[in-house]
Amino acid sequence: MKTVQRATEDVFTAIAHPLRRELLNLLAGGEHTAGQLAAPFAVTRPAVSQHLRVLLDAGLVRERRDGRERRYRLDPDRLTVVRDWLASHERLWRLRLHALGDYLDGQEQP
Amino acid sequence: MTTDVRSNAPGDHDAIDLEAFYPHPVELVWRALTEPAALATWLMTNDFQAKVGHRFTFRTDPAPGFDGIVRCRVLDCEPPRRLAYTWRGMPELPETIVSWSLEPVPGGTRLRLVHSGFATDPALAPLRDLLGGGWRSKLLAITLPDLLGRLAAGSRSQGAP
Repeated sequence: MKTVQRATEDVFTAIAHPLRRELLNLLAGGEHTAGQLAAPFAVTRPAVSQHLRVLLDAGLVRERRDGRERRYRLDPDRLTVVRDWLASHERLWRLRLHALGDYLDGQEQP
Repeated sequence: MTTDVRSNAPGDHDAIDLEAFYPHPVELVWRALTEPAALATWLMTNDFQAKVGHRFTFRTDPAPGFDGIVRCRVLDCEPPRRLAYTWRGMPELPETIVSWSLEPVPGGTRLRLVHSGFATDPALAPLRDLLGGGWRSKLLAITLPDLLGRLAAGSRSQGAP
């Protein structure tokens, strides 16, 4: 099983690539077929499929079959990892700022 | 004494902005932020040097998916008032920025910490706009085991005398 940290990295890796961000932005406008997604880009369709695969693996995009076509839609829930990532840092810093206070108090005791 | 920590930007999804008052002179707080031995007691073991451009790491216990190393580079150092460095937990994660500012106030020092860059990528802006308020509140929260909670726990055990 994937660790959750691994899954978080997958999301950041997925959104790190400009073409994948463009795909996400397209999908933010609604469901698209693979062909519709490939159309705006000057890269081969297999290349677009590969990027879609990264997004699917990261859980950012869902796929369904519709007759002979595959349709893709955004699953925005996974983007909350960015928010959760920030929240975990905030908890860390609050703890550390308290620890800094304890450290400073210890330095000035006679 | 218990430190009162306030947030200047609650609900922001790009930056953490915290402020704390310490009843100690600014020079002492500066030393706690810049002397490796002092930093190790309240944050993490490190090879920090107060020199712009210096690359250093904070180290704690590794955990699954995390090698225990925070990679940093000094961006700004203006004793005893300003200090900033980059902060990257894993090579795959985005580089964020930790900025400290120290202000002498009656009876002590006001310390402000801004940790930014969590969602600054402008290419993500259209997507964020579309998600709108949902980004902050509507979406179902995913329960993530807390990488940095472990990080904090690790540094707590290392910080014990």
